[in-house]
Parts: sequence; C-alpha cells; structure tokens
Amino acid sequence: MTKMAALMQWVDDRFPATKVWNEHLAEYYAPKNFNFWYFFGSLALLVLVNQILTGIWLTMNYNPSGEGAYASVEFIMRDVEWGWLLRYMHSTGASAFFVVVYLHMFRGLIYGSFRKPRELVWLFGMIIFVLLMAEAFMGYLLPWGNMSYWGAQVIINLFSAIPVYGADITEWIRGDFIISGATLNRFFALHVVALPMALLLMVFLHIVALHKVGSNNPDGIEIKKNKDENGIPLDGIPFHPYYTVKDIVGVAGFLFLFCLVIFFAPEMGGFFLEPPNFTPADPLKTPAHIAPVWYFTPFYSILRAVPDQQLGVVAMAASLIVLFFMPWLDRAKVKSVRYKHWSFKLWVALFVVAFVILGYLGMKGPTPMRTLVAQICTVYYFAFFLLMPWWSTWGETKPVPERVTH
Amino acid sequence: MRKLIIAISALFSLSLSAAEAGLTFPNDDMPKLTGDKLIIAQQNGAQIYMNNCMGCHALSFQRYKRTATDLKIPEDVMLDNLIFTGGKIGDLMTNNMNKKAAANWFGAAPPDLSLIARSRGNHWLYNYLRGFYQDESRPYGVNNGVFKDVGMPHVLELMQGIQAKTEQVKGLENDIEYAKADIANARKQIEDGNDVEAARKVLSAAEKLVHEKEAELVKLSKEGKYFEIVQEGNLNPEEFDHAMTDLVYFLDYVGEPIKQERKRLGVWVLLFILGFGVLAYFLKKEYWKDIH
Repeated sequence: MTKMAALMQWVDDRFPATKVWNEHLAEYYAPKNFNFWYFFGSLALLVLVNQILTGIWLTMNYNPSGEGAYASVEFIMRDVEWGWLLRYMHSTGASAFFVVVYLHMFRGLIYGSFRKPRELVWLFGMIIFVLLMAEAFMGYLLPWGNMSYWGAQVIINLFSAIPVYGADITEWIRGDFIISGATLNRFFALHVVALPMALLLMVFLHIVALHKVGSNNPDGIEIKKNKDENGIPLDGIPFHPYYTVKDIVGVAGFLFLFCLVIFFAPEMGGFFLEPPNFTPADPLKTPAHIAPVWYFTPFYSILRAVPDQQLGVVAMAASLIVLFFMPWLDRAKVKSVRYKHWSFKLWVALFVVAFVILGYLGMKGPTPMRTLVAQICTVYYFAFFLLMPWWSTWGETKPVPERVTH
Repeated sequence: MRKLIIAISALFSLSLSAAEAGLTFPNDDMPKLTGDKLIIAQQNGAQIYMNNCMGCHALSFQRYKRTATDLKIPEDVMLDNLIFTGGKIGDLMTNNMNKKAAANWFGAAPPDLSLIARSRGNHWLYNYLRGFYQDESRPYGVNNGVFKDVGMPHVLELMQGIQAKTEQVKGLENDIEYAKADIANARKQIEDGNDVEAARKVLSAAEKLVHEKEAELVKLSKEGKYFEIVQEGNLNPEEFDHAMTDLVYFLDYVGEPIKQERKRLGVWVLLFILGFGVLAYFLKKEYWKDIH
C-alpha cells in the first residue's frame, strides 16, 4: 500500500470520505443524454460560491451603518485593491443568479423534473428560490443608494396590507418608524449570516434529495429501470469525470458572458446597477419612478395588476405559492415536452411570453393600457397553473422510448 | 389598426422617452473621445472643475493622488496648480462649503459630484452645463433648459457669456402654452359633458398644434437656433462646447476611476476564458469519446 492510500484508509476508517466521493460523484450515475439545459444547476452552484466568496471580502470593508454604508461602498470602489472587481462580481452575480435559476426552473418545467419521485427536489428548490429572493432584497438595501432605500420602502410597506397588525408588523420589520440605520443593520445581519446559512442548508438538501432519486433527463424516463448485472443503469454514466468535464465547458461559456458584463457593462444599462442608486439614500427625496430590480418585476407587475392593494399582495404571494404545487398540477402521462401533446408547447410558450411581458411592465410606470396588458398576463399566469390539471391531459402523447435518445 | 400599432409601440417604448420626461433643451450628443484624446480632455476638465466648481461641489469620495495618477498629471503640477485647500496629495477632494449656509443661499446645498456622471449620465450633464439661459424671474437671473428652476447660478458665465431664447423660440413657446390651455379647457368641457363634440375637435386640433410646435422647437435646437448669445464670454460657442465635453469626461472619470482600466483588463480576461473554454471543450471531447 502506498503512503497516500494508507492515509486515505486512515481517514476512511474515521470518516466516510471515499464513500461520499463515490456516492455523489465517481459512482453517481447521471443519464448520458443531458443537453444545454442541464448546465444551469451546476452554474447556480458556481454563482452561489461566487456570491459567498466576494461577499466575505466585501464585508471586510463595508460599513453597515446609515452614516457610513454609502461612503464605504465608494471606498471599496476606489481605495480597496481590486475592490471594484469584488463589488461588480457580487452585483453582477446577483443578477446572474436569477438568470441561471430562472433557466434552471424552466428546464424543470419542460422536462417534468418535478414529477414523481422528484417532488421533494422541486420543493426544496422552491424554498431556495424564495430564500434567494429574500437574500437579494436585503442585499439590495445595503449600498444605501436612493433606489435601495425607496425600493425597500415599497416592499416593506406591502406587509402593511396585512389586516389589523399590518402597521405593527412593518414597524417590527424596520425596527424603526421609517427605514433607517436600524433597518440596514438587521438586513446586513440577515443578508450575510442568517439567509446564506439557510440557503446552504437548502442547497445541501436539494442535492441530497436529487441524488437519492437520480437526475431526470430530456426524455423524462427513468434510467434506473434498465440496469446491467452490476446494478448500474445502462444509460447512466459516472457524474465524475463525465459531467464534471462537461460542466467545465459550461462554466467557460458562462464566465465569458459574466465577465463581458463585469468588465464592459457593469451597470448593464441600468438593469443591474440603477442610476438612482448613485445618489445616497434620502428619506426626503423620492426617485421619480420607483421600480424593483429586473428579477422581481414579473411578480411586482402581478401585484400592481390587481386594483386593490391587499388583494394585490395576496395575488403576488399566490403567484409564488402556486409554483410549489407544480408536482401535483401536471397530470400528463409523460414527463418530457418531447413526448407531450403540442398544446403543452403552446401553453408553455405563452407562459414565457406572459412572464417576460410582466417583467417588462414591472419596470415601467403604469398607464391604463399597460395595466390592462399586465392584467391579461396575470390572468394567464394563474390560468397556466390552476388549469394545468385539466389542460395537461389534452390530446395524445407520443410513445416514450425504453432507453434514452441522443 | 394604426391606433393599435401606436398603442403597442407606446407600451414597449424602450428607454424613458422624451415625451415621458418632457422636452429639454439643448439636447445634443456629446462627442465621443477615446485614448489620448480622452486623457487630454479629462486633464482639461480637471482644470476647469478645480477652478470653477470645487468651491461649492466637493468630490469627497475621490483622492487627489488617484486623480493625478490616472489622468497622468505629475504630482507637483497637481499640488501647485489644482489643489487650492492646502491639502496633501493623498487627501480626499473635499471643500469647506458650509452646507447649512449654502442651503440658505441657493435653496439646496450644492451636492457632492463624485458620482453625478453615474446617476445623471454624461448626456444629461453635457446639456445641463450648456443649458443656462437668461430669465429675470429667477433669483440669479438664469434658468436652465434641462433642469428647470435649478438653484444654481450660471457659474461659467465668464466662459460662455449669457444666452437667451431666440424670439422664434419664445413665439413657439407662447403658442404651445395657449394650446395647452385650450387642451385643459376642452378636457374639462368633455368631462362636464358640455358641447362634447366641439370640445373634441378643439382638443385634437390643439394636441396636433402642440405636437407640431414642439417638433419645430426640436428642429431649432438641432440647428443651434434655440439660444442666442446676448452677452459674449471668453469662449466662442464651439470652444465652450469643447470645454464642457472635457468637464463631463472629467466627471465621468471621477464617477468610476477604474472605467478605462477595467475595459483594458477585460479584453485579456475574455481572451483567457476563450482559451480556457477551447481546452475545456477538447478535454470534454476526449473523455466522452467512449460514450455512445
């Protein structure tokens, strides 16, 4: 036995290092027919690591106080060595996180990755999505720009729609009568400690649940049904090295686009860093037009589409909650879009259109025409999910192959 | 059908259009500068800024030394000619403006301009700086065509002189004002249900008129006939535009000192990722050879 092997044996006698490595990488069998859409899971992990690392370094120079926050961000941008890069990686990373996660969720939608037995994978994923929204919202306040301030004002005020206790609850969230240094401090604590821990825990559970049931694939069939004499799925290949080397190609593609933004358009035309945030928070100066960051705007549009504020908040909450029920809404006989009836493609295509329009309208000030369009899209958004048990059974499905196709 | 197309295009108008933000004058594009020309412009802009703006508008997130290094100004030149506070080269670029007193003088304390180019944008700044015109109704005798009723006096009067709206512009603005009054009256009439048919006619005619007259204003502004110089300054209009371009590029630099460097670096980063991607692709291909 070589010295290295002896050392590994020593560790394995005390900690299941080799066992974990094998179970989750070297002998975790993933379907061999993953396509483009399967890059976004590992990319989400990459962005998470990026956010945590750059976040740690940013906290080293960030000052979480109403008096010092704004200046400390500029200090990072100007006086901290490579501080500008850390900050742009973090701010671009926030948007990239949502790009990647939306595409990851879309993948699940078209290939039926949430269907039995992967319901918990989907539910854990949805909890991650909600935590991510909270994490992004709280992080957005920290630079203490004027849009940070007023955006937080609008969102926190949503809670005042809660009957009877609304006003008390908003005051409890803010820790003050208005958004102030007290709010900033608690958001900082939640953003850098509590929510990242919760996120990491949920990501861990998401992956554990996935590895218990195995990955779905573009054909939406179970590779575990066809195993060889050793119990290895015939259409499965070890995640490492096959998918690790493949995902590295995806990483290169992602990093190219990511760095294109960081180095050449860190503000992304005002979508990633908004112009009003280059003036400090001012409780007396409301920006001409308050809009949330792009990744929240579809849900914000749903909120505004409802004429009544309380019902609007309910609708926005419902638009997220309904996603949790996906595993039980889809009643089609097959999982993958490849073998579903053509009407599925139409419903999904229209859903994408509605979602994008909602996102666009959420950035703009309301006009009667825009509100009407937002209402139509909102109705479609809910119809898509609530009527899914009905429309997902429409028409004939195509025959599903025994083995995965390339 | 035409209405539908207009409605849809209004719905998806990309940026905040002029109609949404209101017309502002002037509204000219700033010349694009790169390379050495940019640095020279920024150096000149720094000089204009330190001599005319710094007394009221600090750049308190930026340091003299960083400015000198990035704009290739020797430190002794910077110390001797551009630092008026007796500050050290490593100091932040602050001033001694008393905010309370300043608010009293101008209505609002002059803001710090470290990030003004990032919050307002270069286009806005370029036109704002060239937009002061004579208006005796204002406390300092000037108004601004981009930032209406701004508290700031025309600090660069010595350079630009004083400009005023031409008679033609004043006439057009009068017409627009009257038409707008007609629009308001007609709207009220329609609301009250009083002779609605006639009011509708007045409304559409007045709206058309406003549209036409505004288009004429835009045309005049493009031809440089919106303002005329009524009192000459040290610079002619062309020279003044140059000076303002320089000043805005200086503020653009101060807004994000790393801007040029990050673009330079970005090219190498992308090239590296490209090379890395090619290697990763062939590595993947090699591993996947035996997967069928």
